Amino acid sequence: MSQKRQTIAIIQKDLRSITANKRMLAALLVVPIVLTVVMPSISLLALRFLPEDTQDMERMLALLPLGEQTGDLSRDMPGLLLNYVMPTFFLLIPIMAASVMAAVSFVGEKEKRTLETLLYCPLSLRQVFRAKVLAAFSLSELVSLASFGLMLAILEAETILLVGAPVLPGFTWVLVMLLVSPALSLIAVTLIVRVSAKAKSVEDAQQGAVFLILPVILLGAGQFSGLMLISPWMLLGIGLLCAVLAAVLLRRALGRFTYEALLERE
Amino acid sequence: MTYAVELRELSKEFPGGKRAVDSVSVRLEPGQVFGFLGPNGAGKTTTVKLLTGMLSPSGGGCGVFGIDPAAEPERAHALSGVVTEHAQMYDHLSGMENLLFYGAVFGLDGALCRQRAQTLLEQLDLAEAAEKKLGAYSTGMRQRLSLARAMMHQPKVLFLDEPTSGLDPESAQNVHKMIRTLADEQGVTVFLCTHQLRYAQEVCTCYGLMDQGRLLAQGTLAQLRAQVSQGVRVEARASRVPPEAGWRQIEPGHYAVQVESEEAVPQMVRDIVSCGGDLYHISAAPPSLEEVYFALTERKEATA
Repeated sequence: MSQKRQTIAIIQKDLRSITANKRMLAALLVVPIVLTVVMPSISLLALRFLPEDTQDMERMLALLPLGEQTGDLSRDMPGLLLNYVMPTFFLLIPIMAASVMAAVSFVGEKEKRTLETLLYCPLSLRQVFRAKVLAAFSLSELVSLASFGLMLAILEAETILLVGAPVLPGFTWVLVMLLVSPALSLIAVTLIVRVSAKAKSVEDAQQGAVFLILPVILLGAGQFSGLMLISPWMLLGIGLLCAVLAAVLLRRALGRFTYEALLERE
Repeated sequence: MTYAVELRELSKEFPGGKRAVDSVSVRLEPGQVFGFLGPNGAGKTTTVKLLTGMLSPSGGGCGVFGIDPAAEPERAHALSGVVTEHAQMYDHLSGMENLLFYGAVFGLDGALCRQRAQTLLEQLDLAEAAEKKLGAYSTGMRQRLSLARAMMHQPKVLFLDEPTSGLDPESAQNVHKMIRTLADEQGVTVFLCTHQLRYAQEVCTCYGLMDQGRLLAQGTLAQLRAQVSQGVRVEARASRVPPEAGWRQIEPGHYAVQVESEEAVPQMVRDIVSCGGDLYHISAAPPSLEEVYFALTERKEATA
């Protein structure tokens, strides 16, 4: 019971640390707004008002499963955007949120010399780290959920205004929100945790997330350019792979630290 | 017997071969205020880190009420309060919020936590700054808040590494009073690292003198004095002193000599007067902790 209270205290404190850090908070808010509001809105408007050259779009739509094609470009495009293009780009949000939070939570404490004080508490190193991983993961999931809600509200409003009918999120989003996004969050946190003993600054630690962001951007670019469409089955496979990877990495990251290794570079 | 703090041939060698602590043995009973004295780099902070499980020993061992901090750090932490230069708190939280957070992390429930925080803030003259963000605190205020934080869970042992550095004399005095009260009334054992020997003499009941990782001597002040010299030190301010009496000039007109007891003082006064000296002041006192410390380090250097 008491251990639960201790864990909650650390999580609440970590969440407050990020809201008190204006620079980090701005980073947390700007990226999701660009990805979930600005980008889809511009794409939708461009598709609606610049229909001169539709050949490329038609080729892209041809990749859609037959059941999802209506033959009407203006009605198919919002669905393609929401259910095939956006999920990949959306994955950048949990990665970014988890990286920022984990960097502030692990390396930021080291940088500000508050980590040693925290380590004097009657919790094992593993318990302290678990609470911090949980804090980074919770924030990442919270930001992802809020971003999804915001994106859906904006896209629905714009689609109804432009096309006259709503666009429904497909099964892909269930996989994204419940499997791929949490798994990627955990991998991002783990990457930061792994470098946290050596990293000297928050920025230093965040560079670890690049290895995760690059494949997602490439995947997104592939989707956007019409080179390939990721089916829900592919996404399920990627999600399961990421979840297993996250579990293995997390277990290894939590087990490798000692007080001495953590504090020697303080 | 279970000691409050025990160091058994404790050693720590860092990668690269630097031996920061070299076979140090100390045993403290509950309620003792132990002054762990020595210059910067003597191995005091490393010893505290070993006692709190932040470092693992290279040789020997240590314990806090029988708990090995290297093997069970969380159990040792539950009994210990630690103040070190590197253990900072959160600038974006107020003094009160910081204490409430650390209280919660030590498992205290909300109401008890707030009550203890309030009491400690008042005792350490921080009640008015309780709601101010820590970022706006001065060095002295931060140091006092660190002490409050270390005492939130009412530890049985306090490890204090230079707790009065950065404090003005009045605040330092308050902290010393508090340490004495904790030891006398609540039986808290205090492991106090400092290089401020005058302050240590005011507050500690026993001492360990460290130099380059080794324990030069340990014991009460009387025991340490006995290791250095017998008798008392007499200081006089006079225009001249008899040359054959062994007086050593500290500065012009200020002399000192070591004698067996205070009984010798009246004759010394007569001798100064009879050799034509004007005597302005004379006092006899056993050697201070500072003098004992320097005598011991000089002796060590001479034998080396």
